[in-house]
Amino acid sequence: MGATSVHRTIDAVWRMESAKVIAALARYTRDVGLAEEMAQDALVQALEQWPVEGVPRNPGAWLTTAAKRRAIDQIRRRENLNRKVEEIGRDVQEATPDASEGIEDEIGDDLLSLIFTACHPVLGTEARVALTLKMLGGLKTEEIARAFLVSDSTVAQRIVRAKKALADAAVPFEVPEGPELAPRLASVLEVLYLIFNEGYSATQGDDWLRPELCAEALRLGRVLAELAPKEAEVHGLVALMEIQASRTKARTGPGGEPVLLLEQDRGKWDWLLIGRGLKALERAEALNQPPGPYYVQAALAACHGRARRAEDTDWHRIAALYQVLGGISPSPIVELNRAVALSMAFGPAAGLALVDEIAGEKALQGYHLLPSVRGDFLAKLGRTEEARAEFEKAASLTRNVRERTLLLDRAANC
Amino acid sequence: MRFMVFVRSPDVAAARHAEALLRAGVLLDAGDLVPDACGVSGYWLIDVRDHEEALERVKRIALPACVVEIRQVAVV
Repeated sequence: MGATSVHRTIDAVWRMESAKVIAALARYTRDVGLAEEMAQDALVQALEQWPVEGVPRNPGAWLTTAAKRRAIDQIRRRENLNRKVEEIGRDVQEATPDASEGIEDEIGDDLLSLIFTACHPVLGTEARVALTLKMLGGLKTEEIARAFLVSDSTVAQRIVRAKKALADAAVPFEVPEGPELAPRLASVLEVLYLIFNEGYSATQGDDWLRPELCAEALRLGRVLAELAPKEAEVHGLVALMEIQASRTKARTGPGGEPVLLLEQDRGKWDWLLIGRGLKALERAEALNQPPGPYYVQAALAACHGRARRAEDTDWHRIAALYQVLGGISPSPIVELNRAVALSMAFGPAAGLALVDEIAGEKALQGYHLLPSVRGDFLAKLGRTEEARAEFEKAASLTRNVRERTLLLDRAANC
Repeated sequence: MRFMVFVRSPDVAAARHAEALLRAGVLLDAGDLVPDACGVSGYWLIDVRDHEEALERVKRIALPACVVEIRQVAVV
């Protein structure tokens, strides 16, 4: 195997094993920052040794053992931690080179603890995202920087500060239980969905790294679903991401222009991912838990995913689901979406009635979709003069040039 | 990138050792194929970053004696 080939293998092994190595080490050291540093040291050692000696039969166990030895050295230097040295030393001596099924549960618990630690609410959003991608996704600092269009040093600083914040707050390396679990899980799910949306909604940046963010968020969501199978919202989020990801290829036209959901070529949707999303939704439903926001959003996405043609969409169900979502997470935007669903289910007058109810909401002032949607309803009702004024108002509010052109065209056609 | 992994073995359960791929969040689909001269076959469809990762993930699975073929799925 040539040196380049070995380096490619090391990259792949690192992506696969780094989270497990860090998690296993953090269980002993109780210090995620130290664990991550020692794992990085083990990686450097692998980069030096493997091209010469060959890739070991069980690279993950090799990296873990090497990292633990580094940790012992580090802790020995901190003379007041002798007890931990003994514990880790014993473990290294007892370690067998082959991973076995018997330790999978332990690895799973460690990994889950690592997820909850990296996404701890004591950290800011950007720090949680960077730490998650670094420690759980195995992404390099420069890869995270490129994906988020910031400098390497910015990401490196975020990670250093995040590790320090975790240490300062003495965040325990454990899976939260009882009343603490719900907010902590919400924080984890928020991070995964942020990573997914960063890749999904992006309109600029490196072409390959941004879809990579979607893929990584989806993969971490699937991992979490296996580690926490009794949490309906985890399955809800996985379902939502699977179904949204299924539309990636249909979301833009040949010139890169956005294509609205109802106008997308459904032949370009990834029906394998839709099927996976619907299964994840079934897993969430089978748990009989009160619906959470991710579950409801996934159920909404599923209404579109089940329709082979746009005209087959179940708008009655969509309107009902938006009502449920509004009850869980009240928002004028949700109400605006419900108005669209009502108009599709019961006619434009039903939608217009709701839009007029919420038109005074502060959050919607300056939001171009309010006059755009209202204009659409008015046009369908034959109130062309009012419709034109609404489309022109919407055009003046949007910053998107393509959208402005579209809205002005609609105004001209009234 | 998606890769189709074909597992051919006389062991009926050979292709069913996919738990590690499931736990890693990379297994998209799995199934059995109609038996042929090589014995019983099954497949895994996995989503990973590159061929090296596909290879490393499959190597890590404790399979009985079998022939494994890894092919990248064409993107249309």
